[in-house]
Amino acid sequence: MRLAKRLHSAALRNRAFLGALLLFAVFYLVYHMLHPRGFSSAVLIQNTNESVAIVFVAMAQTLPVLTGGLDLSVGAVMTLTNCIASELLTGTPAEMLFGALLTLACGAAFGCVNGLIVVYGRIQPIITTLATGAVAIGLALLIRPRPGGEVDDDLSWAMTNTVFDFAETYGLAEGGEAAWLQPFAAIPVPLLIVLAVVLFIWLPFRNTQMGRTVYAVGSAEGAAYMSGLPVERAKIAAFTLAGLFAACAGLYLAIQTSSGNADVTQAGAYTLNSIAAVVLGGTSLYGGVGGAIGSLVGALILRVISFYFRILAIDPLLQPLIEGVVLLGAVSLGALRTLRVKNRLELFR
Amino acid sequence: MNITAKLTMAIAALAATSAAAFAGPEVVEGPGPEPECFAPWDESTKYLQWPAREGPYRIAVVNGFVGNTWRIQMIQTAKAFAQDPSVADKISEFKVVSTGTDAPAQLGAIEDFINQGFDAIVTIAVSPDGFDRVIRLADREDVVLVPFDNVLDTDKVMQVNEDQLEMGRTWARFVLKELEAQGKTSGKILEVRGLPGNSVDRDRSVGIHEVLDASGGDWEVVQVVGNWDDGTAQKVTADAIAVHERFDAIITQGGSTGVVQAMIDAGHPFVPVAGESENGFRKLIAEHADEGLKSISIGQSPGLVAIAMKAAISALEGNPMPQLISVPLPVATYDELEDGVNYWSDLPDNFFTVNEFPPCGVNISGPAIMAQTEEDVK
Repeated sequence: MRLAKRLHSAALRNRAFLGALLLFAVFYLVYHMLHPRGFSSAVLIQNTNESVAIVFVAMAQTLPVLTGGLDLSVGAVMTLTNCIASELLTGTPAEMLFGALLTLACGAAFGCVNGLIVVYGRIQPIITTLATGAVAIGLALLIRPRPGGEVDDDLSWAMTNTVFDFAETYGLAEGGEAAWLQPFAAIPVPLLIVLAVVLFIWLPFRNTQMGRTVYAVGSAEGAAYMSGLPVERAKIAAFTLAGLFAACAGLYLAIQTSSGNADVTQAGAYTLNSIAAVVLGGTSLYGGVGGAIGSLVGALILRVISFYFRILAIDPLLQPLIEGVVLLGAVSLGALRTLRVKNRLELFR
Repeated sequence: MNITAKLTMAIAALAATSAAAFAGPEVVEGPGPEPECFAPWDESTKYLQWPAREGPYRIAVVNGFVGNTWRIQMIQTAKAFAQDPSVADKISEFKVVSTGTDAPAQLGAIEDFINQGFDAIVTIAVSPDGFDRVIRLADREDVVLVPFDNVLDTDKVMQVNEDQLEMGRTWARFVLKELEAQGKTSGKILEVRGLPGNSVDRDRSVGIHEVLDASGGDWEVVQVVGNWDDGTAQKVTADAIAVHERFDAIITQGGSTGVVQAMIDAGHPFVPVAGESENGFRKLIAEHADEGLKSISIGQSPGLVAIAMKAAISALEGNPMPQLISVPLPVATYDELEDGVNYWSDLPDNFFTVNEFPPCGVNISGPAIMAQTEEDVK
């Protein structure tokens, strides 16, 4: 009885997230049913590969939004780290590992600088990151004025396929044939990467005092400060983690395309899509409510809508219009509860 | 016996896996079919051959950026060409998607079409690099992948483009010829360049300078950056005219209408202009050629998509195809312009006039399909 009550209240608190999850599940199931090779490993690999970068950028955007800010540099940091990784991911396995860690460190450092400017410069996050985003693109162009790079081919193939292909490429677990590996053999590696980041970085962070402070700052910064919470450090941590997640996106993009590309338009598109994904996933733009897992689902919804254009015969020039209308519909679902509100004051919460 | 049997099986299995790994086109000797349409880039261009298969085929176009006239005209041409009697019965399913400037999305769309079992995928790459994975998958499934316009830095796939270097050379040769007719062997030339860092901009400019340097004349070339855009090109041309006062000729990579407009606005006398294939540019040439605007107009045609589709079908039929196909440059000089034929005085300035390639049987006029409604070309 008490369990049921607790579940009920948890569901109420996560209403927006559960709605997004349901929407995604429906979209994705129907997609697989319509796809000629639906429910196959090949389709799942393709879907995850396409989604990893936007999922990480959406998770990155979540943290500054939770504190009540907005980070306009996440797409640019992804592009910058993509270019850095395209220079570093070659040589021996040890060198590649070092290169990957260095890439992630660069992203985190860039995010940390964002946080320091916001906290100690007392400048609005949206303006700060607009400027630092331009700096990131400038650095990316400096590192890689022309698209290219020599990312290791085997690494690229192994990381963008199933666990079996990974084992086969590197001759692990008897070339992927080991009996104990078989239950996992068909799982895409990119899916595992995203899961690992969620389980080992996001969830532990959210449960620390620092993580809870990020939420507190977003709901009522004054109250958080008066309660003695480390408000400034929490903001810096939020931006640093955003930089780290954006670097995960850049690193994966480099592995996926085995190259780097300082593409300004792409950086802008990813930043805008990350904000859309955050909102779709149930995180409030006013801060304090939501989470990175919601944004992950939000990003997947964004992606799955465009999947449909490949299996249905829709006029190519009408596709952007349809995508926009479906998105608007999806966001509006989250606003349905306002129709049932008895006291209009509740709308201001 | 047992051991030898096992060994044979192992070798057979090994052969099977290596064959699977190296599937894809075979490098063969040319020439291929319809050389007037599918011309090899140069003598060193190799030929690729895929195993022939029964039609009709399933073909997809994966576009990246969408939102300018050129891309819209390209998509409309692709749709109209798929209905063309010469190929319609060879295509059983035809899909077009635009992914935006988003590399993972474009790669994902290509992979999705490979998964769906499409026979050929035609694409304008959003980046010249990064397609290794989809090329590997396409080869494994024997799918013909054809990048055109923005091509890839690889020789593993069949690609279709116009020779940008030759375009630059043709512009420069024309301008030199016109200046020579005026008795000039030296002077000042304005070069309006395209989008910086782009390989097309680089190649066109290299071609221009190659010819100018080889001419032996004393040419002072002033370079400005016009981004292939009318507004930008007009502004930078106006600035250049304000500073240098007088040029003997202008070579512009794009935004040609804006360049001529700037010349008119500044009261600069008409001089030979070499430029792109915008309808507005050709209208101005037709109007002012007598006053000295003796010009040449060469275009990167949205109709390239139709040639890429045609090449894909030819490859699926098992023909040996040049790895890099050079589409002839659609050239029109001031004395060849004819209203309603290669420019349209009643249509807006931003149409790209060249859309047809008669040697390839591509006879879809750009303005004609743009003037139609969505329903007509479906």
